[in-house]
Amino acid sequence: MTTMIEAYFSQLETALARKLEQKATARRRFIYEIARIGNRMFSPDWKSAWTTVFVPFEILDAMGVAGNFIEFVGAMLSGTGTAKQYLEKAESTGLSTDGCSYHRTIIGAAMDGLLPEPDLLIGSSFPCDGGLKALCHVGEIYNKDVFIINTPFDSSPEAIKYLAGQYRDMITFITNQTGRTLDYDRLRKCIRNNNIAHGYFAEMMELCKKVPSPATSDDLKNFIIYVLLGGSDSVVEVGRAFRDEFRYKADNNIAGLPGEKFRLLWIQNRIQFPNNLIKLLEERFKANVVIDELNHLYWNPLDEDEDPLIALARRQVTHPLVGPAERRLEVLVELARDYRVDGAINPAHWGCRQSSGIRHLFNDTLQNIDVPVLHLDVDCVDERNFSEGQIITRLEAFMEML
Amino acid sequence: MQVRLREAPEWVSLSFSDRPKIGWFCGYTPLEVLLAAGFVPVRVSGHTGSVSKADSCLHANMCHYVRSALDAALNGAYDELKGAVFVNSCDAMRRLYDVWRKHVNMDFTFLLDLPRGQSEEDVAYYQNEIQKLRNAISAHFSVDITDKQIKAAAHIYSEGRDQYKALNDLRRETPPRISGYDIANMAALFSSTSPEKWGAYALTLTTEKSEQSAPAVKRLRMILDGSPVHNPEVISFIEDCGFDVVAENFCSGSRHFDLNTGKPNTGDILHDLSAAYLARPPCARMMRFEERAARLIDIVKTFGAHGVIHISLKFCDTYLYDVPRLRKKLAAEGIRSLFLETDGTIGSIGQLKTRIEAFAEMIGGDAL
Repeated sequence: MTTMIEAYFSQLETALARKLEQKATARRRFIYEIARIGNRMFSPDWKSAWTTVFVPFEILDAMGVAGNFIEFVGAMLSGTGTAKQYLEKAESTGLSTDGCSYHRTIIGAAMDGLLPEPDLLIGSSFPCDGGLKALCHVGEIYNKDVFIINTPFDSSPEAIKYLAGQYRDMITFITNQTGRTLDYDRLRKCIRNNNIAHGYFAEMMELCKKVPSPATSDDLKNFIIYVLLGGSDSVVEVGRAFRDEFRYKADNNIAGLPGEKFRLLWIQNRIQFPNNLIKLLEERFKANVVIDELNHLYWNPLDEDEDPLIALARRQVTHPLVGPAERRLEVLVELARDYRVDGAINPAHWGCRQSSGIRHLFNDTLQNIDVPVLHLDVDCVDERNFSEGQIITRLEAFMEML
Repeated sequence: MQVRLREAPEWVSLSFSDRPKIGWFCGYTPLEVLLAAGFVPVRVSGHTGSVSKADSCLHANMCHYVRSALDAALNGAYDELKGAVFVNSCDAMRRLYDVWRKHVNMDFTFLLDLPRGQSEEDVAYYQNEIQKLRNAISAHFSVDITDKQIKAAAHIYSEGRDQYKALNDLRRETPPRISGYDIANMAALFSSTSPEKWGAYALTLTTEKSEQSAPAVKRLRMILDGSPVHNPEVISFIEDCGFDVVAENFCSGSRHFDLNTGKPNTGDILHDLSAAYLARPPCARMMRFEERAARLIDIVKTFGAHGVIHISLKFCDTYLYDVPRLRKKLAAEGIRSLFLETDGTIGSIGQLKTRIEAFAEMIGGDAL
């Protein structure tokens, strides 16, 4: 039986292929490649895995496993305006409405049979508790074990070794569950692809530092989902497409947002359901979101000569959201300075303890470098309590203050 | 709803602390290292009142435990602590660690990373974390912490836990010879005083209670489960609704004592401590849902309980996510349960009185 989600990915891929023929934009290429990768989950050639956001997709790829992280699907359902029914479904079991709605949505979707039954479930303790818990709910629905990766808190050699050891255990788990083995040559190619893509990403991000930026607020919206492409040829294609587009615009003085007046840093996630906030910022205030915190290229090119599991583990533990808040705050300061932002917007996603717990530190830190911060009390996925009028009033006041 | 407070036993005001104090939060903190370093480990338990100062530093969607812990610190309640040891227990605790270091005037803080598994690799990793704690304390306070001292501390704590179990066994009888409130006070005292002196006192109390005549009135026997509940008044309040609380499956209650660090296995005390802590009955943070549910069901049967009251702190993701699954598990075993979500203040528990009393009526006196 074709599930709704399979139909969604299939139609998305077809529609974008058509649009790409008409006009090839980097954004279209990006979403097209995501849809194509998403579609692998339904192919008989691939085993499928539901995961949390930060698992080593390169290893999955090199084992013939198509991974997809649940937060992405939660965001997708919100973006299509269908999250509400799944939220209600999950809440009908007694699940608290104070938890993360990305995760609640996916639990409801699994209960409703929307998610295809996966071959595997793999979760990481980073970045949050909720993702692991949600994955366990999904595991119970499909009567499947969840493999848990404990991402260490620091980036010491012992921590990297410990994480790499867990990747080895994960490989054994996948083999035991699916019969698939790791193709090390393919994994090395994934790492090579990542490094090529890294070069393009670094260039494209550098170009976005130009004033005005060659990108619009939404060109790199949710770019974090590129992790799904990790190691495939697609990640190289996407990196090249954005680099080429931004370079062309920069060389020809074409602004992403014509008349760009204000430059903004977006902290944490975007609001996923349809809303008018970005439109208002761009059209009325000529304010451009020039950098999303989660798009920050935090990792260095991987060492292609060392054990790939060690290289992937090292990349993981250097993520700014791992470890003490200082690491993240330093990155925010760096981004604010490098991208010459006038202000920062933080939609403090209601159920997100790991991020909203330090929102006062965002304030203190950025204000120290004269970057004002606007906290929006919103739920980025659940639009049932979204009061756009009130949010717009706050946004207007913030922009007038700038 | 005004919560009626029971008159506290005289020993609640005892202070068995004759050494400098150091704070800790999570049940996976290796207290043995802190004791061996010459400190009295004191649990930072926050308070059950309204949060005032902390709300300007921590978002209101964090659980009351972390907010009230910070609040109490900002109001000077922990000024005498020489430091605080955190564990990477959950998202909220990690963020408390961040905010605490910025806003609380305390020279020494440390965060232990905690695995979820029990493999040799997990044990080795946590052992290294404990070693890092030991090094940090040694360097900061200029103290030697020898293996011998840690082994001695492990022995003291192990004896204390055994004494708690002896005291707690008095609750197996029907009616129990010691109330849940008294036991909760002893657990709170254990977490804030010198364990040697606590042990001596526990022994006296066990003897006293054993020799007293048993209470005449039988009441419904109840197990409490869920997020940490530090204030014994919460237990008292539930007992006043018509129950005998016979076990608290909290990290602040009976479960805290299900740990044996006194029997060395390998000769490497830090390895043994790491293995013992990771092997203790898990909390919701450690995942392992099936194991936890089976253990809870076993406690219900062992203590001949009539049901379970599960208390989740509002915004405590680790426990709240498990509520639907646990509810199903208990129902499948025919165990009656009441699931409460509170903001952690004593007032909010008071507001739940009607539901708790209705639960007692639903089980009914015939069950006795």
